[in-house]
Amino acid sequence: MNFIYFLTEAQSAIPDAMNTLTISDVTLTFGGLNALTGVDMQIQPGLITSVIGPNGAGKTSLLNCISGFYHPTQGEIRYGSERLTRASPHQITKKGIARAFQNLELFRGLTVLDNLMLARHRHLTYGFFSALVYWGRAARLEAENRAFVEDVIDFMELEAYRKRAVGSLSYGIQKRVEVARALTLGPELLLLDEPMAGMNIEEKEDMVRFILDIQKEREITVALVEHDLGVVMDISDQVYVLDFGELIGAGSPREVAANRKVIDAYIGED
Amino acid sequence: MSANRWFATGNFYTTYRQEQRIFTTHLDRVLFGLFLFFLFVWPLFVSASNKHMLVINNILIAVVAVYGLNLVTGFAGLISIGHAAFVGIGAYTLAGTARAIGDSHVLITHAWPLMILISGFMGAAFGAFVGLPAMRLKHLYLAIATLSFQMIFSWTINFMTFFNQGQMIAVGRVFWISGQVGRNEHYLFWYYVILVTAVVCGLGVRNLLRTRYGRCLVAVRDNDRAADAMGMHPGLTKVYAFALAGFFAGIAGALHTYMFRGAGFESFTLHHSIIYLAMAIVGGLGTLPGSLFGPVAIQILELQMEHISEWAGTFLPATMNLATALRPLGFGLVIVLFLMFEPRGIANWWRICRSYFKLWPFRY
Repeated sequence: MNFIYFLTEAQSAIPDAMNTLTISDVTLTFGGLNALTGVDMQIQPGLITSVIGPNGAGKTSLLNCISGFYHPTQGEIRYGSERLTRASPHQITKKGIARAFQNLELFRGLTVLDNLMLARHRHLTYGFFSALVYWGRAARLEAENRAFVEDVIDFMELEAYRKRAVGSLSYGIQKRVEVARALTLGPELLLLDEPMAGMNIEEKEDMVRFILDIQKEREITVALVEHDLGVVMDISDQVYVLDFGELIGAGSPREVAANRKVIDAYIGED
Repeated sequence: MSANRWFATGNFYTTYRQEQRIFTTHLDRVLFGLFLFFLFVWPLFVSASNKHMLVINNILIAVVAVYGLNLVTGFAGLISIGHAAFVGIGAYTLAGTARAIGDSHVLITHAWPLMILISGFMGAAFGAFVGLPAMRLKHLYLAIATLSFQMIFSWTINFMTFFNQGQMIAVGRVFWISGQVGRNEHYLFWYYVILVTAVVCGLGVRNLLRTRYGRCLVAVRDNDRAADAMGMHPGLTKVYAFALAGFFAGIAGALHTYMFRGAGFESFTLHHSIIYLAMAIVGGLGTLPGSLFGPVAIQILELQMEHISEWAGTFLPATMNLATALRPLGFGLVIVLFLMFEPRGIANWWRICRSYFKLWPFRY
């Protein structure tokens, strides 16, 4: 998989208005255990930034810190000029940062359509009484946002599953719904937590294609936590390597692959 | 939409609004209209005795109350074993007002729609307050919190002289355009009021369920972590669910007080909370039609159990006390059987029927 020609195109089309996510000196402690220790990181707008590391390295903890499920014990997370360090998940979502979960956190009893409509929650700005009579603003906004949802369904190729209950779908499709739901939130920055875990080669290739399209066509910044090194090295613009909660390497995929510490900790020698 | 809008078969939508309709075919709409029409006109042709009207009115009041319980327990997944107390809040808002300003005050006899609405809002306020623990507690622990509210309510009513220590507090007869509603038309009058309330509330709930205000309830039920990530405050959403439940319960309570021309604490005990829960379960948790089927089924069952235990009392030895035990026994049995064999309730049978006729005249 060589997507280099995609990347050069995408990089030239970065909008200026988008914000950089800056993580400075973040430490996360559970009791006596340091899940993260003094992590510094920058997620540049318009790029695909990946975080890799062995199991238990703190990748998901880092993502949880960004999306507000954990609050760092020390350090600061900024998105543009705004501090996210103490914000709750719903506040962070409102700032335009969406998150797809590793262990599917879908609304299992609902259809794919309803799952995605739920992601439009903050865009459905009609009042309670308008909703009660389903007239005027409520009906109009529902239809408009439905159109947006349909656009995402089309983008993620979920047409066939629109009316199916999410719980009844296969794992690969559920993963795709998870990404679609995060996308439906209309984010500037999309955090993907191992979107390819447990997938077969074909599903992985599909997902890689989706991620590249998300970056290129929808102009959304992507932060990717992933296990599959091949994928990460192929599609990332920037790679950060975590080991035991500490940052041991950063840079372009080529630089990281050549980094001695990274090779020792993760990649192993040939 | 394609030419034939009478059947769902072979139809397709051309706008999203068409798809968001409550009734997707003319047939649905006409059948529902006929059903409503029937509900409104049958009393003109059949003169039911007061006893029967009382049962029917009771069922409809329970329908309004179960709308609320279904929203909080069925849709939002928060078990409430204090629903009768919320109904009681509504009932005692009205009864308390009657005690404070006199049971034939113009506010009570003439402005009764306003009083019903106020009772609803009072229920909502208490619902929101009792729902506050839901911001921290889940599952059984939350259920205990609602149970404690039920207990506090019963004790407060029982021991406060203002509430007549749980004895009946009378409420005067109301006025309609044609004058005071007398003894003879009392039940018929309230049948229509309750019916209109139930239909309006039902449509309101149906509308809420297809907007963000209904979807957020299901979101916190299925996965409140993800709900948080979707940009809604899960704690406040749960409080809102309780407020909504309290509102419908409050309205049901006020209707109850007006129909029985008074409120006494024995209609709002833990026993009634369990019955409301049973109605929601048997009807089908998390479905709107379930809020209709449940009360009907449970009320009929209760009446039948009464008959059966009466009949059983004629030949069972009195010392065994079986006849009296038969009623709660049969009642509990039905709930357990439903939970075991049809946890989705009667509404599921309805769904199966509908999905069969959806494709009619084709098999698949």
